[in-house]
Amino acid sequence: MKRFPLHIAAIALIAWSCDPEPILLDATRAVPDGVNTGIYVLSEGLFNQNNSALAWIDYSTGLPYSWAGPNGTSYDCFEKANRRRLGDTANDMLLYGDRLYIVVSESSTIEILDASTCRSLKQIKLSHDGKASQPRYITAYGDYLYVCCFDGTVTRISTQTMEADATVTVGRNPDGICCAGGKLYVSNSGGLDPSDPDSTVSVIDIASFTEKTRITVRNNPGTICTDGTSVFVVSRGIYDYGTDDYDCRLHRIDVTTDLLTDTYNIPVLNMDIVADKAWLYRYGSDTIQVMDTRTGQIIQSSFITDGTHIECPYSIKVDPITRYVYICDAANYTTPGSLYCFNPEGKLRYRMATGIGINPNTIQFSTSQVQPADAGTIIENRTPISKVFSYCPAPGQFINTIPQFSESDDSITMAQKCLEALTGNGMITLGGFGGYITVGFDQPVMNYSGPDFRIDGNAFTGNAEPGVVWVSSDANHDGLPNDPWYEIWGSEQKENRSTPGYTITYLKPESDDDDIEWHGSDGRTGSITRNNAHKQPYYPQWYDQDSVTFTATLLPDNQTYQDGMWVMKSFGYGYADNLPNSDTNSAFDISWVVKEDGSPANLESIDFIKVQNGVIGCNSETGELSTEITAIYNINQ
Amino acid sequence: MSFGIKHCLIIICTLCLSLEAQGQIFTDSTQAKSIPQVTVTGDRTQDTRSVATSKQADATLMQAAGSLQISDVIKYFSGATVKDYGGIGGLKTVSVRGLGAQHTAVAYDGIIITDNQTGQIDLGKFSASQARSIRMVSGPDNDLLQPASLSAQAAVITLNASRPQLGTAKAHSWGEAKHGSFGTWSVLGGSDFRANQANTISLQAEWLKSRGDYPYIQEGAGSRHMTRDNSDIQRLRLEAALFSDLSDNTTLTTRAYWFQSEQGLPANIYYNDTPARERLWNRNGFIQSTLSQNVTDRLTLRINAKYGITHTRYLDPDANTIQGKTDNRYTEQEGYLSGVVLYRIRERISASAGIDGRLSGLDGNGAQMAAPTRITLNSTAAIKYASNRLTVTGRLNHVITKEKTKLRKAADSYNHLSPTVGLNWLAWPSAGLHIRASLSNTFRLPTFNDLYFEQIGRRDLRPEQATVTSAGITLDNQCGTLHYSFYADIYNSDVKDRIMAVPDGNTVKWKMVNLGRVLTHGIETGLDISRTAGLIRPAARVSYTYQRAMDKSDSGSSVWNHQIAYTPRHSASAVAWIETSIVNVSCNIIYSGEFYSNGYNGPEFRMTHYYEIGCSAWREFEFDRFTATLRAECINLTDYRYEFVHNYPMPGRQLRITARIEL
Repeated sequence: MKRFPLHIAAIALIAWSCDPEPILLDATRAVPDGVNTGIYVLSEGLFNQNNSALAWIDYSTGLPYSWAGPNGTSYDCFEKANRRRLGDTANDMLLYGDRLYIVVSESSTIEILDASTCRSLKQIKLSHDGKASQPRYITAYGDYLYVCCFDGTVTRISTQTMEADATVTVGRNPDGICCAGGKLYVSNSGGLDPSDPDSTVSVIDIASFTEKTRITVRNNPGTICTDGTSVFVVSRGIYDYGTDDYDCRLHRIDVTTDLLTDTYNIPVLNMDIVADKAWLYRYGSDTIQVMDTRTGQIIQSSFITDGTHIECPYSIKVDPITRYVYICDAANYTTPGSLYCFNPEGKLRYRMATGIGINPNTIQFSTSQVQPADAGTIIENRTPISKVFSYCPAPGQFINTIPQFSESDDSITMAQKCLEALTGNGMITLGGFGGYITVGFDQPVMNYSGPDFRIDGNAFTGNAEPGVVWVSSDANHDGLPNDPWYEIWGSEQKENRSTPGYTITYLKPESDDDDIEWHGSDGRTGSITRNNAHKQPYYPQWYDQDSVTFTATLLPDNQTYQDGMWVMKSFGYGYADNLPNSDTNSAFDISWVVKEDGSPANLESIDFIKVQNGVIGCNSETGELSTEITAIYNINQ
Repeated sequence: MSFGIKHCLIIICTLCLSLEAQGQIFTDSTQAKSIPQVTVTGDRTQDTRSVATSKQADATLMQAAGSLQISDVIKYFSGATVKDYGGIGGLKTVSVRGLGAQHTAVAYDGIIITDNQTGQIDLGKFSASQARSIRMVSGPDNDLLQPASLSAQAAVITLNASRPQLGTAKAHSWGEAKHGSFGTWSVLGGSDFRANQANTISLQAEWLKSRGDYPYIQEGAGSRHMTRDNSDIQRLRLEAALFSDLSDNTTLTTRAYWFQSEQGLPANIYYNDTPARERLWNRNGFIQSTLSQNVTDRLTLRINAKYGITHTRYLDPDANTIQGKTDNRYTEQEGYLSGVVLYRIRERISASAGIDGRLSGLDGNGAQMAAPTRITLNSTAAIKYASNRLTVTGRLNHVITKEKTKLRKAADSYNHLSPTVGLNWLAWPSAGLHIRASLSNTFRLPTFNDLYFEQIGRRDLRPEQATVTSAGITLDNQCGTLHYSFYADIYNSDVKDRIMAVPDGNTVKWKMVNLGRVLTHGIETGLDISRTAGLIRPAARVSYTYQRAMDKSDSGSSVWNHQIAYTPRHSASAVAWIETSIVNVSCNIIYSGEFYSNGYNGPEFRMTHYYEIGCSAWREFEFDRFTATLRAECINLTDYRYEFVHNYPMPGRQLRITARIEL
């Protein structure tokens, strides 16, 4: 009797070990259409979870592109190619030219991707007065992209410079944009004030990029599409608590007159228009209707003819060439969705449930080859520098030893020795504050999103000797660093803790056994003191002058005396010899490059790098603070 | 070092000042030092006669576990999963046996704390110092005097507020100061004193402030070392309680409580480049009273009454609305009256009946605020047979509600009956082996948000029902100076008519429905072991939980049989401490196996396992006039970085020092 419960426990355990295990979705296959190489599917993910994803369904294999992600099989091409996630709520996507533009609403960014590799060429952050702009939808015309944002603006982005260059104020919370007749039509939803929504469509003249007029439609306009001669916009009305529903209508705006010409009592939620036909669905139903946009008549009341049921249609897209109709299914909004492809007769061609993320909302067709780049291997692809143009260190305890000076050396041979050290297993020192080295690459280092180049040093925690980094692009194509230099703003410049243009002069001592005096431009003086460990002259022996002057950005003092030892703390990011080489914050992103006024310089690529010691410091244990460098290389090939 | 001598001095000075002030008010402190010694008792883990699984944590365990908030203690209870958004201000809700947080009731000194708006209680709001002990019962409680609204709950966490332990002394006062990592400061002071022969008064005040700017690592194009932004918090708690002996057989406890807080709401770590600026303000006050009277030898009466008011303000200064911000204010009010009578029919048989009436209302500044008011009437009838070896309980709970709204139509009335039965049998007296089993059918009412939240709420929801069957053994024995106590329970819980949000075939609209079903198979087990005498007294508690919580909502869906989000299958914890005459030392660990952040158990939603190790050392110094305790602890010793809620990192290593003086 005593053992009775143990029996029960044993039986229960056996029963429970038979608890069914979760079954993951089966692999499904897409059927090629003979025209496209494949389709991109963007899924917005769940709010606040940073799980937007970009899938590429490859028609050559019929499968979504997959790779071994950090948690198992992943289908997100963006993460594969960029080693980071797209962000929160990627709301819209446009394939334009050879680039893919993705609008990430909650992250408030626009990602510009190379369409064939999915590599981010640029991430544009949209904010205004510290408030996220929340971009929603994107359209393109000529050399520009137009993005409507929830903060009541339309932002123009140049495809050439990849920069936002102008903004127009429209109505409240625009939630749809399309382009017709040289004008942009923007539906001003005002949806963030549900009891007092907006009810207008803004018309923007593209040439002057100004708002021409606002057309009043009905409360809470959303989805907006055009067939070229008319603009169709859905208004959702005010939520009716009696019926627990919205009351949607479809409106037609004439593009030549910009007048509201028709309102159809069709409760449309979403639609796509191709050549005088609109495929649309109403809410609460998976019935797809087809409307003749010329007459406004429903010509097909039920497009799907084979009885296929879609749980929750989330977006619809019609291929203008094949006329295949693609519908994304969001299922229950919280778990991965799927994609349905129908032929023009309304029969299911295939259903793709593999690789589609949560809440798939946009499809783009591609006729070019797509092979997502592998960001994981890019880091292995290190291309070192090929030239050292000048090596001008300040005095210091390692000067004349790394690299080794011999009587026959001059500045040219010393630079050559530096190149050998930096491309081999050697190390060089920049001496005290202001000392610098200028190096160059054979091929430009491109400014992709994320880190672009690395400068390895000998920093470890508590032993940082940060050097400030400058870059330059070979604008005149003469192969020489005689073009404008731009500073990389690291954490200290960014937070306004640095002193730009600090000038320091070191005096050659009478005897090699004397300390080296220095005078700063703010009247400070000090010396590079000699120590017993290093007995060679501390003043660079190939310098002809009896004094040497440097001008450099002075970083804050990073030395503290703690628990009986000197600690040289690391700054946040953006400096050479500042963090351990393995730390990701020790890499450099060309996007950090600024003009003199601190505004982004937006360089597409760079050819030259200058590293200059940015700290003045000298202590009894480790001597003067001097930036040391072991290698400089492009990680972005 | 950040904990320099300077800080110690500040703490000591603060203490001296506050104690001096107290000393002036409450004289005769010479007697106050005779605090009764706390003895290690067998009920540290559980009540062996309980028909349901019950766990308890006393002050020593809370100390050994390094608890700052009540939620820190709950993490050491098997069967409970704490959903933690990280940091002191991060929301912490408790789900027991895969039932969902709304099935867990929290009671403060025997009276339920409610949040009719969300239905879940943030256990991070309660400080570990305000509870003398914490008890969690999953299933029917043996206590026949339990109010009707608590007996109808699947799991009840009771915070037993500190009660005066004056003994022969006239007054007992204490002051405590804590300083911890990330700019955390807390000051606590209290005093218990006898107003006259029949009345004892207890006063307490606690203030906490934290910058909460703990470091975390943002993975991505590069792992970036960042610090948590907008994670600051400030809290104040004031409490006054009056304990009256109205007669030999009648006691009355009256408690007034005030809590206010202001905090930032840190965004998910990938949110965007703009600073997080959302803020939350809370103000909560209540007065509650409990009258207990032994009317005759056979008849006991207990009456509870409460009035509470809660103001909440949420501000998002960056919303793209007309006003350029979202500023929501809510006021929830509640009146509560409860009565229970217990009658001992025979020596072994008792019966009780109770009724709880509650009037709760919610109002706010939203234009579409339905402003609901709900009357809830809970009634209960219970019977218990208790012999030396056998305890059998049976209970019937009934609820009826009626709602009214200012705007739009109110929800229908609910009328729901739910039974519970339980059994505990001392199968092997010499070994202290008990067998227990229980069956309970409980429910949770739809919250005001479920019913009325703008565009999402549905007023035709039914209560969510939970049926839990549980069986297990307990073993409690003394072996020389070694005391051990073991329990193991297996359970099956079935939640039907789960209230969940589903899409309404419309991209902009969700609705609440009674749709889901969750079936959980689980094991809860734990072992307490301690040496109860001697100069060196080691003790340890180990517990383990297995939960297989399956989604059984729709066999055709992709999540059929998948594990419910944020429910690890395996989790475990351990606390060990040694009390010696020189110093007391403790070490604690929490482990959680992998789990999923989504109801679909795909690899992209897998959250890795984590563990957190802590340790502490403390010592009491006895002086003529007072006792001082110094305590130092390290939380997350290994600086293990993890997330429980996806994209809301937990803090890494933290240090905390505490100085306490009692007189």
